Amino acid sequence: MHQAVEVSGLSKEFILTKNFNLFSRSSRKSILAIDNVFLEAKPGEVLSLIGPNGSGKTTLIKILACLIWPTRGVVRVMGYDALKNENRIKALIGLACSDERSFYWRLTLRENLYFFGALFNLSLSRIKKSIDELGAFLDLDESLDKRFQECSSGIKQRLVIARSLINDPKLIFMDEPFKNLDPLNAKKIMGYIKTKLVNEQGKTVLFITHNLKEAEEFSDRIAVMQQGKILKTGTLKELSAGADSCACSLENIYEKLLKPLNNC
Amino acid sequence: MNIFYKASAFIKKDFLIQISYKTSFILDWLHTFVTIVTFYFISKLMGTAVTPYLIGYSTEYFPFVMVGLIFSGYLNTALQKFAINIRHEQLMGTLEAMLVSPTKMSLIIVGISLWDLIFTSITTVIVLLFGSLTLNVDLSHINFFPSFLILAMTIISFSSIGIISAAFVIVLKKGNPINWLIYTFTCFLGGVFFPVEMLPWGLRTISYFIPATYSLRGLRHAILQGYNFKMLFPDIAALFLFCLLLFPISIWVFIKSVNQAKIRGSLAHY
Repeated sequence: MHQAVEVSGLSKEFILTKNFNLFSRSSRKSILAIDNVFLEAKPGEVLSLIGPNGSGKTTLIKILACLIWPTRGVVRVMGYDALKNENRIKALIGLACSDERSFYWRLTLRENLYFFGALFNLSLSRIKKSIDELGAFLDLDESLDKRFQECSSGIKQRLVIARSLINDPKLIFMDEPFKNLDPLNAKKIMGYIKTKLVNEQGKTVLFITHNLKEAEEFSDRIAVMQQGKILKTGTLKELSAGADSCACSLENIYEKLLKPLNNC
Repeated sequence: MNIFYKASAFIKKDFLIQISYKTSFILDWLHTFVTIVTFYFISKLMGTAVTPYLIGYSTEYFPFVMVGLIFSGYLNTALQKFAINIRHEQLMGTLEAMLVSPTKMSLIIVGISLWDLIFTSITTVIVLLFGSLTLNVDLSHINFFPSFLILAMTIISFSSIGIISAAFVIVLKKGNPINWLIYTFTCFLGGVFFPVEMLPWGLRTISYFIPATYSLRGLRHAILQGYNFKMLFPDIAALFLFCLLLFPISIWVFIKSVNQAKIRGSLAHY
């Protein structure tokens, strides 16, 4: 059986071109956003990606969601090659980003969900069923017929999560999905995702967060990234193996892992 | 089936957005009618002075220019809207959200402008009825099948240029001046406001390389004089060649631009 995500030798180099200048040759600079990454996500697990800003977490997820092409390496999602089977992969994934503005502001939340549901080829009855279910679990019921522009940031953020789940994806990418949510609601939603979607239905979640407690509480495994590299992957126990006795919380482990590189 | 289902979702979404801006919706219509009526009075002013130039169309100036104005509506939509809409989707962040779904890029680029083309078509029908019922434009000779065929090929050929322009937006993030140049020169050289036969020899030669020349001549003959398919064949054949050449090129260029943006990681940038 294939893994939900299989990444080997993955690198992504972004070429940055300076503005054209008549009097000097334009120079090319590049940034290695992902540097020879190997990673696996098993079916039915929550794998958290943690790391400082600019460590390559979002780039990695966008490569997995077929929005960015890798420079080198092999990327397989749900058994499909990301470069060859883009549409097959997209039918099986959901992506929830921290940017909550990516909707049609003049449409209601329901109309937005109908539109994005249709892009996944879902029938109207299936979209309606999904909206009813997601509306209930995300507490969106009362806001569904409000225009997007009239909703609070928290409601908008929940709509991002609803959109990522509307096609009942087998693999869910979540990039700081709770940024605008209060801690209680964030905990409730993550708890539902973990128990219902992951434990009961066997879905896989790749979860980017800067909230280490959240990662510690909900993840089956955690990958720590820095400067485009994965420093370590494993369960909390595995990550703390070989560390001092005080390094039992993710925060301590994180600090310890990042320290040597920060000192360089 | 999937294509039509998704296309209808795009149309519904854009229709709902457009009617949510009620004032703008009404002003768009008003602008069209004011333009038509303005040309009606200009044609009254001209009287029969321009008739010798329109001998090939056996009509007066107002019916001649009304077809030109209808055409320029399509021209504007097909040339401009693809680039404008793709830019808008980039700015809203909805382009990336669409690209996460299993929807082909070619369908997305066509889908985001479908409602604009439908809206232009509805406007066209209303303008024709308005012209016929209140401004004495004689539409009794109209030959529907060739008119639709020419219109469809006009939309495809100019949309192709519009799609190439949208490809520029994907890569360069800003509109490009090509559209403006093509729109202006098409209106000038293609015969929107006056017959190309009036142009001096050099400019007239250039006009034969513009699809609008064949579209407008064909549309006027089909709508105002009821020419049949056989009589319109030279114009239809020329338009068909433009479609055959431009459409595959435009889709190829657009796919290449998206691939380039995926390499650069700039699909969501603006």
